Amino acid sequence: MTLKYTLIALAPLALALAGPAAATGKMTCKVAASDVKPQAELVTALTKQGWTVTKAKPDGGCYEVYGTTPEGDRVEAYFDPVTFEKLYVSQRGKVLFQKQ
Amino acid sequence: MSLSPVQTRTLRWPLWLVLALPGAWLLWQAGQPAADLDELANVSGQLAGVLLVLAIGLTGVARLHPALAQLVHLRRAFGLAAFGTSVVHLLLYLLAMGALEPVLAELDVPGIWTGWAALLLLVPLALTSTDAAMRRLGRGWKRLQRLAWPAVALALAHTYIVHDGQTLAMALAAVLILLQITRFNRGRTVS
Repeated sequence: MTLKYTLIALAPLALALAGPAAATGKMTCKVAASDVKPQAELVTALTKQGWTVTKAKPDGGCYEVYGTTPEGDRVEAYFDPVTFEKLYVSQRGKVLFQKQ
Repeated sequence: MSLSPVQTRTLRWPLWLVLALPGAWLLWQAGQPAADLDELANVSGQLAGVLLVLAIGLTGVARLHPALAQLVHLRRAFGLAAFGTSVVHLLLYLLAMGALEPVLAELDVPGIWTGWAALLLLVPLALTSTDAAMRRLGRGWKRLQRLAWPAVALALAHTYIVHDGQTLAMALAAVLILLQITRFNRGRTVS
């Protein structure tokens, strides 16, 4: 009886820890793979605009970038991998920009 | 297979060691060349959250069955591990930020101040975790230690908001809520 309670109580934790950590589902980009431009090009373009990029990786078909904006905010941002259009910018969970 | 008081006492030292290891390992990782400090800060935060919930939930677990009752004596170890890992988490965050200015600049962002507030609430709890402090504070000790509840609420809010932590935060909240429910149930159906 009590063991059952323990298991019930600890089940959510087990589920969370076993869950997939990969795609966050925050943003998805549906583009043809052949149109995708190299990630390094995006980083170069952002750096030219005054960004400091600490990390970049593909996520949900978009490029996800961690870094500092020209305004000095530490953010997580999503970009279209074909047009490099800015789609979403979040500062520690506070949405600073979202493409309508 | 219930634990005797002596067994829990001898368990304590290896437990301290085991609980200190992940934090130490994360700090060591941070010292490696090309360390991903953001990711290390992330992992340390998740670990701190789990430890904090374990520390608070241990009372609930201990009340589930007489065989688990002695576990409550290991609570200090879990509480201090949660605090220590939170400090490691803060250090890794500061290292990842690299300067004071950006840290101050985002102090008012909800995802960040909730974390600071949670850690600040844990400070008096850690400072009064000794036997001597328990004796000195008497009944006030228990009241003071109840700060763990607002601390965990803030910590889980921080986890939820700051970065991809929704699932973990909700799971940890569910664990605490379920343990509280089983606590009430036991109160009614005396076994």
